[in-house]
Amino acid sequence: MERILIIEDDKIICSELKTLLKNSEYEPLILNDFKNALKEIDKINPDLILLDINIPYINGELLLKQIRIKSNIPVIMVTSRDSETDEVLSISYGADDYITKPYNPNILLLRIGAVLKRVNNYQEITKYKDLKINIQKGIISNDEKEIILTKNEMIIFSYLLNHQNKIVTRDELMTDLWNNNEYINDNALTVNISRLRAKFKEIGYEYAIQTRKGIGYILV
Amino acid sequence: MKLLEYLKDKLYEILIFLFTYIILLLLLFAFKSDISLITAFSIIILILFIILLLIDYFRKRNFYRELLNNIEALDKSYLVLETISNPNFYEGKLLVQALYDINKSASENIKNYELQTTDFKEFIEMWIHEVKVPIASLILMFYNHKDKFDKKIIEQIKKIENYVEQVLYYVRKDYASKDYLIKEVELNKIISNIALRNKDSFLENKVDLIVNNTSCLVLTDSKWLEFILNQIINNSLKYKRNIKNSYIKIEVSESNKQVILTIEDNGMGIPSSDLPKVFEKSFTGKNGRVKTKSTGMGLFIAKNLCNKLGHIINIESKENSYTKVSIIFSKNNYFEVLK
Repeated sequence: MERILIIEDDKIICSELKTLLKNSEYEPLILNDFKNALKEIDKINPDLILLDINIPYINGELLLKQIRIKSNIPVIMVTSRDSETDEVLSISYGADDYITKPYNPNILLLRIGAVLKRVNNYQEITKYKDLKINIQKGIISNDEKEIILTKNEMIIFSYLLNHQNKIVTRDELMTDLWNNNEYINDNALTVNISRLRAKFKEIGYEYAIQTRKGIGYILV
Repeated sequence: MKLLEYLKDKLYEILIFLFTYIILLLLLFAFKSDISLITAFSIIILILFIILLLIDYFRKRNFYRELLNNIEALDKSYLVLETISNPNFYEGKLLVQALYDINKSASENIKNYELQTTDFKEFIEMWIHEVKVPIASLILMFYNHKDKFDKKIIEQIKKIENYVEQVLYYVRKDYASKDYLIKEVELNKIISNIALRNKDSFLENKVDLIVNNTSCLVLTDSKWLEFILNQIINNSLKYKRNIKNSYIKIEVSESNKQVILTIEDNGMGIPSSDLPKVFEKSFTGKNGRVKTKSTGMGLFIAKNLCNKLGHIINIESKENSYTKVSIIFSKNNYFEVLK
């Protein structure tokens, strides 16, 4: 489980972020002692830091600069300061991403996921049971047969695969699709999923993708 | 300064001189002076008088001519005192001193207002950053406890968010000097941000988003452009028609000189009588009154920001048919050279 340190002085945001991250199977930690932020970070040694710019005692951008002197911990700036200058400055100080408040929680999670993937040299999952998956080509195959997925179907399947055995909401799938510049509507998502099911039926996994009514889908 | 006007102004001096001269002349005649003495006396005194007048005229003329010319030449004429040389006659010195004092008092007054407005602007900006924190909390709370809240709540929160953002950019548009940063921006990325931001509204309102090859680099400030596009998209979503295949289509066309970004919808459209006025401040028009209460600020701010960034924004529409907004970015060779 990746440990994510939240550096944010608003108590309510802290606790809500904690819930959000916990629900997404991260281990959230909260920085309490802003005076000795740098030492604390050293001690905790998290896998990722969510850093606000407006924090007491030290400016977030300065803190980022100091962190970067000796460490490459991924840092996502999460701030209400919405200007190009702040963003460019943060990125030049070495932030891995920059998100402005208020943000859509799904998008925050996607960005966290993307940064962690990037720094951990994450290998895409290429297997599901006895099936080989080629994400770039959109081909799924076993020894005898192969099925070809469209881009949308592949995005949906990858997301389900990365969250295997967990319920994935339609909203999560939708966010991931839109994040990949596939701006489809509700009907299209339903159609895509039933096509995906039909293709998996061809290859012998008729019940791989199940519907949890009113909640979402699950890949078993 | 014209000589004739100057002489008119000196009428009393001239009359007094003539009067004195005639009395002296009469005196000289009375004492039966020699006629050649009288002639010589007349010539000398006349020349003396003319010389006196001319010296005075030229001293003043040089000063006033410089003053008037410079006032006309400067685009900020209140700075004229810094450009003229000091006069060498008493009246001029008095005038310069008086002007200087007036100028100083006016400048102090203006500075006062300037401080007040920057103060106000800073307060508003700070306030907006602060108010975004509880908005962010609300959104997170809603997301974490979806089962407990009505979906209508998030729509209202989004509305607050949009209004708050309008205030921020309304303040920014007048103090643009330090707030924007123009660099090369990938249009695709901005459109993708906007799409994600409004995803729920698109799905909720059952409006399809169609984006056709928008990969293109333009010179702009990405945050500002995002705000502008967001206003346009929000309008399109707000004024959709109750038909089956509502859509918003975003396209980019590129030529040698410019890039044109168009956002087209098949919504209510704008009556042709309202069309020329949509960029005016607080203009709400027929749709704004019929549909929901509208502030009429969105497009006004968008247009202002476009002007600042050097983009051209146009709108065409047909009632009950479509609305098409285009933003034109010019390509700048200068930037290429600098790179």
